Amino acid sequence: MSAAAVVAAFVRRDFLAERSYRLSFALGALATLANLAVFYFIGELFGDSLAPQLGTFGASYFAYVFTAMAFFGYIGTGAGSYAGRLRLEQTQGTLEATLSTPLGVPRLLAAMSAWNFLFATFELAVYALAGVLIFKLDLGAANWPAAALVFALAAACFAALGVLSSCFVVLFKRGNPLAWVLNNFEGLLGGVYFPVAVLPWWLASVSNLLPVTYAVRAFQLAVHKGAGLAEIKGDLLALAAFDLVLIPASVWLFGLAVRRARRAGTLGEY
Amino acid sequence: MRLEVKGLVKVFPAPLFSGGTDLRALDGADLDADTGVTGVGGANGSGKTTLFKTLAGILEADGGTILAGGAVSGAGRLRQLAAYCPANPRSFYFRLTAAENLRFFGALAGLPPAEAAARAAKLADRVGLATADLERRFDRLSEGNMQKVSLIRAFSRRAPLLLLDEPFRGLDGIACRGLLELIAETGLTATVLVTSHSRELLGAAAKQTLRIEKGRMPPGGTQ
Repeated sequence: MSAAAVVAAFVRRDFLAERSYRLSFALGALATLANLAVFYFIGELFGDSLAPQLGTFGASYFAYVFTAMAFFGYIGTGAGSYAGRLRLEQTQGTLEATLSTPLGVPRLLAAMSAWNFLFATFELAVYALAGVLIFKLDLGAANWPAAALVFALAAACFAALGVLSSCFVVLFKRGNPLAWVLNNFEGLLGGVYFPVAVLPWWLASVSNLLPVTYAVRAFQLAVHKGAGLAEIKGDLLALAAFDLVLIPASVWLFGLAVRRARRAGTLGEY
Repeated sequence: MRLEVKGLVKVFPAPLFSGGTDLRALDGADLDADTGVTGVGGANGSGKTTLFKTLAGILEADGGTILAGGAVSGAGRLRQLAAYCPANPRSFYFRLTAAENLRFFGALAGLPPAEAAARAAKLADRVGLATADLERRFDRLSEGNMQKVSLIRAFSRRAPLLLLDEPFRGLDGIACRGLLELIAETGLTATVLVTSHSRELLGAAAKQTLRIEKGRMPPGGTQ
């Protein structure tokens, strides 16, 4: 059984399930556009003059939020989808059946959120098209190779956080403190809706502990200022360090959580 | 494949701060089965499902040993060797057709899509599941047909150890006959363990039936 065959099977399964909920699919796409429109009009209302902290990034408020939301939306998929998928499997009673097959933990993790990442890529394309065609966003200065590197490091880091978060789902079913932190504080402290320079020093120091801060800042600089690797070296190294620690730790801890659930007999519970 | 189980223990701990006590579901169960069909009988709550889930590698044992084909086998190896048909047939994706479900679970067991489809079609015929029902969304199937899909998932793996927990539940007479034939055929090459609350069906499926009581199976004990 090749890993690719397993991933393909999960993607097909999730695509067929999603396709069976047609209205939800259409409403999701509309909600994305409505969200963007809100920030566009906020940007139109206040212009650039009220946001001197944006000067570092060489972007208007709308361009800043647009980029951060598109980027965070994608990497946030990693953070949220593992726990969400696992919880869904628990409640529909299929988790135990899936884990009673010879499928190992690394393959399960590789396949479980593959559909979510594919769908997030589609959403990212919608964002990009809407940004350029509808909101007339200028991305001419972007350094795409540098942005792609930030993207890859950040996506891996957030997928690892997502796997860590799903350990709580395996063990406690409901009540996920890591997801709570990710959902409530990453946007606030990570510079998604405004640069972290706006934050008071004590909150800014907390934001320095979060990978999203480095990811959003580096991505903004690469996209709007065309920053190269030398200029965002610090952020890239920080992201790489998070990856080095979080990826192996998350896979190992997820395996332990599943094993504990097998011992306690709670794999099929929800 | 010879399956030897010695002193198998499985304890379900009480939830933290619940005030409850641990449940000793298997309390030193012994079992010896070879290629062929062996029945396992016992009252509700006697430990049949826990025994099967432990032998399938879904649960990890807390004590005792399981030897499959002469080798000590942990949960990981058992998941490679065993196919398990649960007593509850609802462990499928309800928004997908039966055929798509079988294709998915087949892939997890290493079956290419075409092979999974071919095996599903063949087995559907044996247990009396119409082709139209294979293509029907799972949540639109009757309980009996859900059970047939669950049986097809287990049989299609062609595993050396087949664990059928209440396989006759919800099946009509024709399907029961088809299943009995299928169990007998599979027992020629695999070790098949079957539970049922129907003595008649259990007797028809297996020449030897072991009894489990309060998580214990006396060595060589028959019903």
